[in-house]
Amino acid sequence: MKGVQKWYGGYQALRDVDLTVRKGEKIVLCGPSGSGKSTLIRCINRLEAIQQGNIVVNGHRLDDSIKAIDVVRQDVGMVFQSFNLFPHMTVLQNCMLAPIRARRIGKSAAEATARKFLERVRIGDQAEKYPAQLSGGQQQRVAIARALCMQPKVMLFDEPTSALDPEMVKEVLDTMIGLANDGMTMICVTHEMGFARQVADRVIFMAEGQIIEEGSPDAFFRNPQHARTRQFLGENPRPSLNGVLP
Amino acid sequence: MTPHFGLPEFGFLLRGLQWTVLLTLVAFAGGCTAGLAVALLRTCGHKGVEWITRIYIGIFQGTPLLLQLFVVYYGLALTGLKLDAFVAVAIGFTVNASAFLGEIWRGAIQAVPRGQTEAAMALGLHYSSRMRDIVLPQAIRISLPATIGYLVQLIKGTSLAAIVGFIELARAGQIVSNQTFQPLLVFGVVGAMYFILCWPLSWWGSRMEARLALASQR
Repeated sequence: MKGVQKWYGGYQALRDVDLTVRKGEKIVLCGPSGSGKSTLIRCINRLEAIQQGNIVVNGHRLDDSIKAIDVVRQDVGMVFQSFNLFPHMTVLQNCMLAPIRARRIGKSAAEATARKFLERVRIGDQAEKYPAQLSGGQQQRVAIARALCMQPKVMLFDEPTSALDPEMVKEVLDTMIGLANDGMTMICVTHEMGFARQVADRVIFMAEGQIIEEGSPDAFFRNPQHARTRQFLGENPRPSLNGVLP
Repeated sequence: MTPHFGLPEFGFLLRGLQWTVLLTLVAFAGGCTAGLAVALLRTCGHKGVEWITRIYIGIFQGTPLLLQLFVVYYGLALTGLKLDAFVAVAIGFTVNASAFLGEIWRGAIQAVPRGQTEAAMALGLHYSSRMRDIVLPQAIRISLPATIGYLVQLIKGTSLAAIVGFIELARAGQIVSNQTFQPLLVFGVVGAMYFILCWPLSWWGSRMEARLALASQR
């Protein structure tokens, strides 16, 4: 991602953002609300169009063509704050739809894949239920499994635990930690600093649409360079590992 | 000697009822098909296309149905296209229904949360699959009470077809009433026939609405 600029009308949401993520790297994006973190990751799978700059995913340059958008979306999975499961389909159907429609995989193969990933997020026994019958934490784990069923190369997380009750945050974070340990490339927008500390290779701090500071979690939390970062970290709970370690 | 209202007269009304039902079914089926196209075009994201469909809806919602039937029946006849009365009113009602149903479904499509479309896009689903698998199933559920409500309006509205000489239930009632001089009895029977058609639909619609309200509370 190089020189990315994005405007909403007259408001500039991203200012000249450069970011390179290596294969297998885990990035945590943090910053105050309105700083452009969500916008940034939504540009990566073209839920938002950019006005200037370049985005290359897994060697494919993202432009306005349907083909390029298609190719990139095949490689990029995304998990949303509000889960966005399809309410009229069972958990299993939620996970099977995209592989069948977008990857043209046979029904039985899609079901086998879906069950495998549902098992992996430890929710295999709920496959026949509808999303509304599950707790928030369970729904988010289904959403993670649904994204994994497309076998993405990169996973984007857009505040995956912000809509959850505190006691459900851990089960979702544990699932994400498991995914990280399996070597998935991950870009996470999150306020869970404990997660950042434990999993991230790099923590990136954004404000007003710019990347202000980035570094290893250790350096980032122990010795933030910018006043803006220090202020942000001061306002947020100190990073602790409590409740996040498996 | 004027005939009294008897079995033959009742049979005549029943045939009128048949035509009312047939016209409703044709207009509703045609209106659903064309209305779906209108709703999809109205939400396609292309400014020009959305603008054109908005005008289309505006014209058919903003002029009397009676006028539209006149135009189809008499207007097209002037251009040399002489249509059978049933075909003419069927076309008129279909076009009119497509505008109303199109607008109802446009609202329903837009009422499906944006996150549903975003999740589908993030999964790499194309427009056709996003609509068919994700948005429309939810939109239809949302629009069902309003759609049924419109169907009830349509059943009663078909009585306008009498204006171009098409004999449906209301017109049949008028004919029988003129022959028997028993308007109260005849129109009472006609009214009961409309009621038997419409009331169960209305009841079903409001039950559906209550069920939807319950579901959205969960």
